[in-house]
Amino acid sequence: MINFQLNNSPVEVDIDPDTPLLWVVRDHFKLKGSKFGCGMGLCGACTMHLNGEAVRTCTLPISAVQGAVITSIEGLGTPDNLHPLQQAWVEHSVPQCGYCQSGQLMSASALLAKNPNPSDDDIVTAMNGNICRCGTYSKIKSAIKSVSKSGAEAMRNQESMVETFDPATANLKREANS
Amino acid sequence: MKKSSMTRRLFLLSTGAAATGLIVGCSTAGPKGKGYSAIAGAFEPNSFIQITPDHQVIFYLPSSEMGQGILDGLTTLIAEELRVQPTAIDVRQASLHQDYKNPEMGMQATGGSNATRAQFLPLRQAAADTAAAIRNAAAKQLDQPLDKILLADGNVVVGDKSYGFGDFVAVAALMPVPENSPLRSPAQFDQIGRERPRLDALDKSTGTAEFGIDAEVENLYRAVVVRSPVLGAALEGFDASAALKQSGVVDVVQIKSGVAVVAQSYWQARKAAAALELNWGKTELGSWSSDSIYKNFTDSLNDSSQKGLECCNEGEGDKLLNQSETMVAADYYAPYLAHATMEPLNCTVAVEGDSCKIYVGTQSVQVSAGAAVYYGDFDADKVKMHPAFLGGGFGRRSLGDDVAEAVAIAKQSGRNIQLVWSREDDMSNDFYRPASLVRMQAGVSKQGLIETWAVRRVGPNIMGHMVDAWLEVLAPDYLNKGFTDWLSKLGHPLFNRFVADASNGDGIYGDYDTPNKAVRHVTQDPGLRTGFWRSVGHSSNAFFKESFIDELAQRAGIDELQFRLANMKNNPRLTEATELVAAKAGWGKPLPEGHFHGLATHSSFGSAVAQIAEVSIKGTQIIVHKVTAAIHCGMVVNPEIVRDQVEGGIMYGLTAALYGEITLVDGVVQQSNFHNYPMLRMADAPEVEVHIVESQEHPEGVGEPGLPPLAPAVANAVFKASGQRLRDLPLRLG
Repeated sequence: MINFQLNNSPVEVDIDPDTPLLWVVRDHFKLKGSKFGCGMGLCGACTMHLNGEAVRTCTLPISAVQGAVITSIEGLGTPDNLHPLQQAWVEHSVPQCGYCQSGQLMSASALLAKNPNPSDDDIVTAMNGNICRCGTYSKIKSAIKSVSKSGAEAMRNQESMVETFDPATANLKREANS
Repeated sequence: MKKSSMTRRLFLLSTGAAATGLIVGCSTAGPKGKGYSAIAGAFEPNSFIQITPDHQVIFYLPSSEMGQGILDGLTTLIAEELRVQPTAIDVRQASLHQDYKNPEMGMQATGGSNATRAQFLPLRQAAADTAAAIRNAAAKQLDQPLDKILLADGNVVVGDKSYGFGDFVAVAALMPVPENSPLRSPAQFDQIGRERPRLDALDKSTGTAEFGIDAEVENLYRAVVVRSPVLGAALEGFDASAALKQSGVVDVVQIKSGVAVVAQSYWQARKAAAALELNWGKTELGSWSSDSIYKNFTDSLNDSSQKGLECCNEGEGDKLLNQSETMVAADYYAPYLAHATMEPLNCTVAVEGDSCKIYVGTQSVQVSAGAAVYYGDFDADKVKMHPAFLGGGFGRRSLGDDVAEAVAIAKQSGRNIQLVWSREDDMSNDFYRPASLVRMQAGVSKQGLIETWAVRRVGPNIMGHMVDAWLEVLAPDYLNKGFTDWLSKLGHPLFNRFVADASNGDGIYGDYDTPNKAVRHVTQDPGLRTGFWRSVGHSSNAFFKESFIDELAQRAGIDELQFRLANMKNNPRLTEATELVAAKAGWGKPLPEGHFHGLATHSSFGSAVAQIAEVSIKGTQIIVHKVTAAIHCGMVVNPEIVRDQVEGGIMYGLTAALYGEITLVDGVVQQSNFHNYPMLRMADAPEVEVHIVESQEHPEGVGEPGLPPLAPAVANAVFKASGQRLRDLPLRLG
């Protein structure tokens, strides 16, 4: 029996100890936001946080998770309670097919948690393990920068605070602003 | 998953917010009636739109959303004519129904960058007729003259009173639905052309967007398939005894493509699959390796007795080639490529007696349903399709091979199963972009005008492989299976010997004013199956054509931009895009030390794209700093998405230009995962700037046209930087 914290809840699971965390979260706990992309830790689609660090869960055996604190995309934010990065993702219209974006967000949020003011090089280093086949890299970079400390300050200086995204009123707000 | 999506739907409805994403369909579409299930009391004027008594507008999206933004684009068309905010529309992926056939293709499929072009008018008409019906009903119900009834922002407005659409659905349902209602004019547009974050961004930024792989049904087992290392080889025997002893394994079944292991979890199935012992027969493909394929192509290219098939013959063809002031010739090569969609292929099948439910992300619900009928032996009306978001398509999700495997496994094992391909399965069982070797020849006048353009190509076709993959699943089900199986193989001789596969000629001769053109294609096919890969023939032909144009300009001693413009007088769209990109990138102006510009221009899928790549060389490494692009794609529905698609095409094209190559040894694909088939990553992604030519013309394609000019733009810049003319893809400096 393996015990760990998943998105702030204690969970336990009895499963083959070499089963990768990704499949436990997806198919046992039915949290489908984290994706399978390569099975070799090469693409980052499966990224979650293990004790705050971004890790590739398609190669992380569940036996290594005993006692750990795990956060998946479902624990980062929800449609009605977005993490600032998720809000930035929506406002920058980052996703195309969207399949890699949970992993991108988990890598980006781990970066900002440790380094709220990352340089361009810091961003590239943190994000280089996440492949996006649709090519959304430049928007990912802009979205991260808009949420970083310096990015947020720059925005405050322009008196354009980040709005709360509400799909029902987003257009009206945008029209009122334009 | 069903529960969570219901919860989410109720949440969104109860808060008045819109569901912007795909709800895995609940359609029970048959050939008659509407394409969706009726909702009590709703107004259902056509298969695209439902309006409920509680004012919800539901739009059934006829095209597949695979990243290209068609959910956003087509919803915007509905919103424009119906006078509703796009964000207020509940968008659902349409299930199988004849009303959802793409009008240009005649089948329910998404590809060829035509979803907006083909549906721009029909969908607007459907929404405009629906709007007219609501107005008519309101006029009758409120006993007001029609010209006093206005629609605005999802409401019916009469003087200073405002009503929801739902207030009139009961009356509307009893009145005839108007036809040919006037469409809004471009001057009136307030949704079409507006800059707006895409509608599915929220779902795709919160992990709540449902892809095929996220499907979950009761009593679901997981399946993996072990296929032949040499594609297409027949199974001669297998021993599953060791695999069957492994933990969680419940079944091992043989299907057409190989042997499937069914287990309680994916991981158990994957581990047990390694314990299978399989004996494969021999195929012709097994005698081919990349070196021998290249030699075969070269021999064929040089053997003038092999005439090949004519793709184009205009004016005097190639007869006058040697009469021009200058004759230039060069050979180019492009390799096989894999699609590598981020979401590996998968399909979930739930069997209930003689019917089944199919959960899959597919570019063609019709092909997928046909695969279920043919390979699962289900009656057509017993197959219920539940299409989901696609984690990338790029042409790969148009074949139905995922469904074919999954239904066969489910049927044989008698269980609900989810088939999941590994990345290795994906890389070695693709329908690859065909390799091609070409000889480009041109006669150029003293003034720098192209007088003769002659191309001789060698390589496999696509269509033969497509017929093979598609015929069984699209043929009427009253045909005998043995007959359709036999018929499906005829595509190969047909397209190899008698009918030129259009993709071989796509984009290799059309852009320039040359009076005399001849393009011929000689088919040499080692048997590795091929398919549609983002931009199809253009993906390699643009590289050949646009690299060669630079060679012609340089031989003539004329600036590459001026040479192109002088030779594309009859191509106004491409001229506009080219002039725009030259101005925006500063063609001819000084660049940072060691940086060089390369230009390429190309028309595809109705649109014209010009790109300028800024490149430097470090050792033998090619560094692409920036790509500036201009696109002429007619009227734009959402500029944000047009720019994203061009940028995405550039990134996809750059992966291919710098790294992309599938190689064979004794018929076995040598690439297996992202370590040996690398993808462009953030560190190497250039800055991209996309400009859109202002236009009021009918919309054209944007999903693919951004890709073709990228490789030649980079290669042309590399030549400026290094003096090396790289004529083989991927681009490698010596």
